[in-house]
Amino acid sequence: MEENTIKVGNYVIIQRQNYTKLQKMKENCTVTLGKDVIDIDAVLGHRYDETFRMVLKSGTKRTYMLEEVSQLTLTNNTQVEESGIDNRDIIDDGKSQTLSKSEIENLRDRALSSGDIVQKLVENSRTFNSKTEYSQEKYLKKKEKKYFEYIQVRKPSIRLLAQMFYRQDPNKTLGIRLDDLSQLLTYANVHSDGHYLLYDSGTSGLVAASILNSIGHDTRGHLVHMHPGNECQKSALQAMHFPDEQQRRCINVNLYSVLRCYHQNDIPELTTETDTAKRKQTEEDTQQRKKPTWQYENERACRILREQVDGLIIVAKEHPVNVTKELIAFLKGDRCVVVFSLVREPLQDLYFHLKERTDFVSINLSSNFMRSYQVLPERTHPEVSMNFGGYILTAYKLIKLTC
Amino acid sequence: MSFRSFKSTIDEGDTVILYLTIHQIYSVKAEVKTLSKKGVLIDNVFQTQYGALKCGDLIGQKYGTKIQLSKGWGYVLQPTPELWTLTLPHRTQIIYTPDISMIILQLELAPGSIVIESGTGSGSLSHAFIRSVKPHGHLHTFDFHEQRVQTVEEEFKDHGLIEWVTVKKRDVCSEGFGSELEHRADAVFLDLPHPWLAVPHSKLALKETGGRICSFSPCIEQVQKTCLILLKLGFHEIQTIEIIQTQYSIQTRSIGVLNLDFVKVKKCEDSQEKQEKEILRTVTAVPPTTQPGHTGFLTFATLPPIWARTLAQENNDLCTDCV
Repeated sequence: MEENTIKVGNYVIIQRQNYTKLQKMKENCTVTLGKDVIDIDAVLGHRYDETFRMVLKSGTKRTYMLEEVSQLTLTNNTQVEESGIDNRDIIDDGKSQTLSKSEIENLRDRALSSGDIVQKLVENSRTFNSKTEYSQEKYLKKKEKKYFEYIQVRKPSIRLLAQMFYRQDPNKTLGIRLDDLSQLLTYANVHSDGHYLLYDSGTSGLVAASILNSIGHDTRGHLVHMHPGNECQKSALQAMHFPDEQQRRCINVNLYSVLRCYHQNDIPELTTETDTAKRKQTEEDTQQRKKPTWQYENERACRILREQVDGLIIVAKEHPVNVTKELIAFLKGDRCVVVFSLVREPLQDLYFHLKERTDFVSINLSSNFMRSYQVLPERTHPEVSMNFGGYILTAYKLIKLTC
Repeated sequence: MSFRSFKSTIDEGDTVILYLTIHQIYSVKAEVKTLSKKGVLIDNVFQTQYGALKCGDLIGQKYGTKIQLSKGWGYVLQPTPELWTLTLPHRTQIIYTPDISMIILQLELAPGSIVIESGTGSGSLSHAFIRSVKPHGHLHTFDFHEQRVQTVEEEFKDHGLIEWVTVKKRDVCSEGFGSELEHRADAVFLDLPHPWLAVPHSKLALKETGGRICSFSPCIEQVQKTCLILLKLGFHEIQTIEIIQTQYSIQTRSIGVLNLDFVKVKKCEDSQEKQEKEILRTVTAVPPTTQPGHTGFLTFATLPPIWARTLAQENNDLCTDCV
């Protein structure tokens, strides 16, 4: 149960209906959802997935506290008395709601529950009773959403994070959609057993977190995560709250710096013998302690690169040919390279590059069509809005036999 | 044993992927002899368009290398769940990698997860499940077809995966998943003709801390029934999606350019020379002329942890009331 308790320092996902937001838990913490400011202190010590009601702080407008809920008082207590057959008699003259805007605002400020507000709106609507049954339901849903006063605190997972980032702004993750992400992981054969190399120039840490999640805890897999900046983007890595042992197997290194280290430095071997004199061990420890962390991480990464990796994943803002060309040297033969791009043309260039090299087979370029469905009795159809994902190139590297 | 972990050399008995072209990929067994259909021990020879392959010769070769065939060559690769999906013997309709990928991500599987699958079918998805949950997780897979259960179990043994999977013959719609799996699973996957009948059993099998469920169905009527029961049983985040992957052929096309300027001037009697045709070269990605346009609908849902179930149920009841 311990891991299900919300504590200071945890990253949590605040959910209000379909809206989600990542938040680090602190003492005296507030979160802004739309125009509402919510004091979320009350959730500390509670368990994930519990529901809380937003209660208006007295003397404020749209500043709320949270209180634990054991029973919902939801909108649909609104009794529908009669319904129309179709919309032939409904005219949009802007006069169907008799309450004025300020009167409605006032309802909210009087801290009425969403159910009560919707009830009032229905009572004061001239056309509600002539709407069709389906249309009435839609109206209630829409209004309920607007005045919804419940929130939940969710534990971050790769699925929730990927959906949240994409909904907030696809650019936060270089346009990577859930299906794209899922296929990067399968085509690169990411699992507990392997060492993987990722170049990621800005997915908020989502791809690195997904790979590390698939590598798992208490396994032997490693991820070398190369990034172009001083610091890697790591919101998703932090949000996942991996155990230290697992987090340490994600080695975050700067692309330029680690390659310079690989090509220009001698990388000290790790001494694995445990029975050598302790003195030597501590001597080494102090030597390593003197080194800045990034240098130590570079060396760790280089040791893995020298052994070569079991999968290479590239999610780049930049044109993929040069970076792929450089990094496939670290890929073992018989293993797969997977490259994602939101646009197709750079991957076409990469396709020709790999084709010319003759040590790659099964070079595939693909994209996905994905859509969601509304499933309701008598009203099942594809969702009205859809979006477009990116392109994925995969290829298997061969071993060139020198004979 | 070639599915167990990464390896570099082909051992006797390994399943090996034989790659010829993008549309010609096969799996063979690295064995000198094999049983014929009549049960007689014969030489294990695989016939390809580029000549015969004596499968025994593969033993000792490196994965990822070129191999000679009598009239050409091919490449040998170590099987991955993706390559296996492309080459496995079909005993049923199978689920392909785009759907498999989404199922694994959405079921939130990771090493250590306990996952239940029904039916097992040809084991395409099962191989990917095992990869996701090993080394400390487990797959419990059920099928109501006796022979399929036996064959797939043999395959798991042969592939070195049996320690992470339990295969049972059972009609889960009527019998459930068994008392030993009550509140044990992190995720349940259903690919059944009547998935809605297995949803109550799935709820019972999911952990008290909650879990995810997925149902794969080709028909929308199955989806509708499944969604209704999910709602009734207090699942939330019910979502139905479909995914279709398109694979492109990258080509450089030469396209002739029409130049119509000459029609605007009088024909010159003395200039006999013909204008050379202008050709533009353009790189393009061509989708296939036909491709699968539908595989199945994927319905996902979350069972909340036990302490949040009454509220989720209440919320759903309000939804179903107006339905």
